[in-house]
Amino acid sequence: MSTAELSADAARRPFTGRRVRFGDLALQVVAGGAALGVTILVALIIWKVIEGARLSIQTYGLEFIWRVAWNPVLGHELYGAGSFIFGTAVTSLFALLLAAPISMGIALYLTELAPAVIRGPVTALVETLAAVPSVVLGLWGILVLGPALRTTIQPWLHDAFGFIPLFGPPSSAGASIFTAIIILTIMILPIVSSISRELFLGVPTELKEAGYGLGVTRWEVVRGVMFPYASGGLAAALILGLGRALGEAIAVTQVIGGGVGIHWNLFSGGDTLASKIAASYQGSTTKLQTASLIYLGLILLVFSLIVNLIAQWIVRRSARKHGIVRGGHA
Amino acid sequence: MPKLGFSTRIATVLAAAATVAALVATAAVAHPARQAGTTISGAGSTFVQPLVSQWISPLGSAYGYELQYSGVGSGAGVAAITSRTVDFGASDAPLTPDQFSACNGCIQIPWALGATAIMYNLPGAPNLLKMDGPTLANIFMGKITTWNDPAIAKLNPGVNLPSTKISIAHRSDNSGTTFNFTDFLSSVSPTWKSQIGSGVAVNWPVGTGGKGSSGVAAIVSQTPGAIGYADIAYAIHNHLNYFRMKNRSNKFTTPGLRGILSAAESDQQPAADGSLSIVNPPPKYANAYPISTFTYVIVPLQSSKAPDIKKFLFWAVTKGQTYGPKLYFAPLPKSVLVVAEKSIAKIHS
Repeated sequence: MSTAELSADAARRPFTGRRVRFGDLALQVVAGGAALGVTILVALIIWKVIEGARLSIQTYGLEFIWRVAWNPVLGHELYGAGSFIFGTAVTSLFALLLAAPISMGIALYLTELAPAVIRGPVTALVETLAAVPSVVLGLWGILVLGPALRTTIQPWLHDAFGFIPLFGPPSSAGASIFTAIIILTIMILPIVSSISRELFLGVPTELKEAGYGLGVTRWEVVRGVMFPYASGGLAAALILGLGRALGEAIAVTQVIGGGVGIHWNLFSGGDTLASKIAASYQGSTTKLQTASLIYLGLILLVFSLIVNLIAQWIVRRSARKHGIVRGGHA
Repeated sequence: MPKLGFSTRIATVLAAAATVAALVATAAVAHPARQAGTTISGAGSTFVQPLVSQWISPLGSAYGYELQYSGVGSGAGVAAITSRTVDFGASDAPLTPDQFSACNGCIQIPWALGATAIMYNLPGAPNLLKMDGPTLANIFMGKITTWNDPAIAKLNPGVNLPSTKISIAHRSDNSGTTFNFTDFLSSVSPTWKSQIGSGVAVNWPVGTGGKGSSGVAAIVSQTPGAIGYADIAYAIHNHLNYFRMKNRSNKFTTPGLRGILSAAESDQQPAADGSLSIVNPPPKYANAYPISTFTYVIVPLQSSKAPDIKKFLFWAVTKGQTYGPKLYFAPLPKSVLVVAEKSIAKIHS
């Protein structure tokens, strides 16, 4: 389009003006509607969850949150979330602890170190990992990974670090909190590493080259330039991974082994909030049990909300600290 | 730009998914209903699924019904019929009062008869070791922890039992098999009854939970020294060893047809809710396998499809039973059949 045509177009504005306004309005309505829709949806979910949990909230009150008990037998019924909150915290945090260095390593390798030939295939492979259905990962966990961990890594950790309560006697069967942690680590690796990769790619080349120009090593550039530049996003990526770990149900249900109680031995069984709901909701035998399971869901919802708020806070704080204005990957 | 690459990849995945969906749709069209008849859909117990699957073809040719069944588990089956997303639900455990009231006008009818096997994995030991109820209860309470415990050794003279640690596997989801098993333990052990009790899920004192019969079987087959429970067909198909159980006439019986049928004779009159309990029957049923159970079909008393459902259920409790024995389901005893037919007759539109 030539300049003349453009100015002619501009001259016709008065006629097209209404159309432009209409477009703006439509955008406003569609975008605003979408945002409002999600808000309403979340509000409805919260309302329904609270309503569903009401019987349990009325029966047990806040004590439910820390009570360590879950007995669904008629006449012996008693429910509490304590051991599941503990299980959720332990599995998610340890999975994050394992996944963080590995996924940062993958991301750094793919952006900084890997030759171009390797970069493409490995990136695709890491992302394929995210496409493995969790039920398949769970089956693999119970049939292959669990027994292998039980006979190799668990005895070794117990012998070498048995003085740490975390590494108690190895589990008798393959299913344990430890197996669940490894499965969760595998599940959050792809999401954390692909976001980290994008963040590292976003580090301006000039900054890195300035570093190299000063004669520092590659590691110093990574530590001194790339990490600080991407820190807010990296933290948010980790928290996103944490969110995934908190809510994963099916695969965890398959490998965690079940059980009520708070104990530090990672090699014994347990349950998380999500795995307990997945295992027990269908075919729940009493109204109180159903309400208590929904109460667990409510607690999980609050947890996820807190995690998201923390993520946003970290991103905002780091953006302010570095004077970088970013859209925010979280 | 990486963003563009990502969305292209998403597009590729979506295209692939669409292709698969199209293929599935074509395949479905290529296999139309045998006759343009009524569809009867059900969901529930995985235990009874092999039997129901056998019925699909003969029911199609007899009445032109297309029978659809998904083995989603007893608990999910109860949920499905409660919300009326299926025409019938199937459960191995009788409904609890809360479930009955939620189901709003449902009846449960015994329609198949099976047994729960106690499976074990003990390298070097033969199949069909002997076991009795109190010892089993002590094992599942964590009081007996090794295979060479005197209680087990006493039951199996002449068998060289190793000092392997016993690992216990149980269901982590709600299960009719768990109900059958804990119902049995409650009837043989007062301690079990008062401390733990029976239900589709209980507060297990020890052991590892597996999801579904497949989860329990996976733990048992992967763990030397393990004990777990599942229906007998499952144990046999997965080539797992299982115990001979001592019954009240002091005989050791296997979960075979003879043992199940003998146990089934012990309770002929269902309770008010339609349930029957045949665990640990009295000594006069000398051949009874003590962990046998009826499994139930749950249907609404009133439904628009009532005539078809009645016809299907009559067929299931009569002709349908002949497909059972080779799958380790015993045919319903006559007296129970009479009761079942009476219940079916009450269904109306």
